[in-house]
Amino acid sequence: MVKEHKKTGTEILYAMIAEARQYDDAIIMGRGDPDFDTPEHIVAAAKEAMVQHAGDYVPPEGLLPLREAIAERVKRVNGVDLDPATEIVITNGGQEALFLMVAAILSEGDEMIVPEPNYNTYHDAMKFTGAVKVDVNTYPDTDFRAAPEDVRKVITDKTKAMLLVSPNNPAASVISPEDVQAFIDIAQEHDLMIISDDIYDLFVYDDYTHTSFASLPGGKERTLTLNALSKAYSMTGWRLGWVSGPGELMARVRDLKAAVSGGTSIIAQYAGLAALTGPQEPVDMMAEAYRRRRKIMLDALNEMGMVYGVPQGGQFVFADISFTGMDSSEFAQKMLTEAHVLAYPGAAFSEARKDYIRMTFLQPEEKIREAVERMKAVMKNMAGS
Amino acid sequence: MTSQTRQKILDAHQSNTSLLTPAPDPMMHNMHDLGAEEMQFPLDEQIIATSSGAMEAGHTHYVPVPGIPELREAIATHLSADYESGHVLVTAGMQEARFLTIQLIGKDAGGVAIPAVTHPGVLRAVGTRPLAVTRMEVDERKLATSDAIQSALEAGTKLIYLESPSRLTGAAYSADEVSAIADMLKAHDAGVIWDQGFAPWSDAAPSIADMDGMTERTAVIGEAFPGSGLASWYIGYIAAPDAWFPPMQSQKQIMAICTSTASQYAAVEAAKLFSESHTARVNQLGKQRDIVLAAAQEAGLSVLDGSAVNVIAVEMSDAQVQTLTDAGYSVASGADFGSPGVVRLLVSTAAADALKHLA
Repeated sequence: MVKEHKKTGTEILYAMIAEARQYDDAIIMGRGDPDFDTPEHIVAAAKEAMVQHAGDYVPPEGLLPLREAIAERVKRVNGVDLDPATEIVITNGGQEALFLMVAAILSEGDEMIVPEPNYNTYHDAMKFTGAVKVDVNTYPDTDFRAAPEDVRKVITDKTKAMLLVSPNNPAASVISPEDVQAFIDIAQEHDLMIISDDIYDLFVYDDYTHTSFASLPGGKERTLTLNALSKAYSMTGWRLGWVSGPGELMARVRDLKAAVSGGTSIIAQYAGLAALTGPQEPVDMMAEAYRRRRKIMLDALNEMGMVYGVPQGGQFVFADISFTGMDSSEFAQKMLTEAHVLAYPGAAFSEARKDYIRMTFLQPEEKIREAVERMKAVMKNMAGS
Repeated sequence: MTSQTRQKILDAHQSNTSLLTPAPDPMMHNMHDLGAEEMQFPLDEQIIATSSGAMEAGHTHYVPVPGIPELREAIATHLSADYESGHVLVTAGMQEARFLTIQLIGKDAGGVAIPAVTHPGVLRAVGTRPLAVTRMEVDERKLATSDAIQSALEAGTKLIYLESPSRLTGAAYSADEVSAIADMLKAHDAGVIWDQGFAPWSDAAPSIADMDGMTERTAVIGEAFPGSGLASWYIGYIAAPDAWFPPMQSQKQIMAICTSTASQYAAVEAAKLFSESHTARVNQLGKQRDIVLAAAQEAGLSVLDGSAVNVIAVEMSDAQVQTLTDAGYSVASGADFGSPGVVRLLVSTAAADALKHLA
């Protein structure tokens, strides 16, 4: 009755994580899971909620105090005014947020344009709806910039939306304010919706700035935006995110949320409330750590002769390993087996990126240095053999 | 903004009547909410200690998609059927279990047959993307009839969805009925999604997965350890055969990566406490149910058959519902389940008090 299940790219990556965990000295630099534990005051708030609010009613859209805190955060960080009553729905992490947005907007046969490379879950979520992902290639020599003029070229009468991710996963590029406006103009011109993934908005480097699509003229009324607390507050296990957008569309997102999972854990919601309203120093501390680690990693990649797009944001770097003569799956497997270092093969993101690997800087500095040394040793052996 | 695209999205939404099916409040949110599915028992301090202890110990990161091993093991042990921990998928609540089973198994099966009276969440799950749906007639207990199941199978349906006990009435199929349904499914090489979430509240709700040869064609779903005070923590389960498992696990990953760790560790502790505390809860509710039944009788209400002690279903006019509403009580409307004229009441002191307004 059930057809044979073909493994998704994500499942391939998960299998590699499982293999890595077999090694006591494994350094996992593939997964987007910060090494920091959730800050203590957030855990304390969760414990308090277990005592005070464990049985409280949870509406599908989430607790109002949390939605109010999100509205305040979005105003402060992203410059967008939201009505917490109608324009925010709480979700089981950014992943569910993405799924709900895609399911809310797309139907079978619709096309959505997505700069490539992109996070494999986007494709997986679209597959559920029967919609088609249309890639627009980006390249390391322009630091993986998604060019609005390239997007224009692939618009058809089936195009319904653009999915724009800034900072991008896995390429770590940040969309400039000018390009954000250009994408909005395209959306208006062709009557397209915009799905915006802002999950890494607090992590931008050098002189780059994050610009939300909903913050610029013409953007808010046709944009659904996702964000989550996983990356910024090191809360990946709690599963807490949100979708925001125009009230009419958010009513659809709310109904889908009720249909897909009903509600979101009350304890995670109170933890999230503490994260947003409590001290923000832990976020600053983590962001600073990522800046230092990024430099260590880029210096090492330069030493190894790898070509990459300079990560303008996010928590990873996407590097070309074609000079090794191996494709990314072989390379990643070799590094895992021989160096006990897990980097994600680009092939798991898309076949077109089989010459790339994604490495996060979500490990302590000494571990990043250790991982790089182990990788260098393996590559030296490769060169010598 | 004039946007045809946006209007098309909204029009599609409004025409999706399944998705718009109103769901009753899933749990008590005020002292007079009689539409909840279980009384909010106090949360055991040990559950708080275990969950918060896990968070303090740094278990705040992603965990495996199907759930933490100790919880999968606890759920498998709790199920009487021949499922192992590898067959258990921990879900973010009961609705996610409904959604994953209906949409993923249903897609491969070419559709699903559901009772004409069923939990509104079933209709919502069906409505998330087009899926061929057959409705099966129900008997006076609001359970799909044997004839309706047989007809659906003879018409080619390869997957049916059944609740036992019913989410509206609390009535369950007898062992003989379950055995007969199992035989029909085997004869037609079909499968079943079996919602047994209310089964812990009944002493007469056999699981179809326990029938000979049925584990391989059954996905059982339910809330993890009901009555433990974890309703708002959203923790449920699916137990399914090997062949059905991968697409659901994959979709779970796509939708949520994993279930909230605080909830999972809490449920591990709830599992340990369940065997010793649940019998006492059932006995307590059984006595309370007798009081509510007496109040219903005094009010002249007709009570539908049911064995689950957490709810009772009664026939009630709109005027009587309004009387309760005016008195500050809310109920689960049978109309949302597909059975107008029936309401479900949470077995509680408040329910007995409410019915006095109708006497």
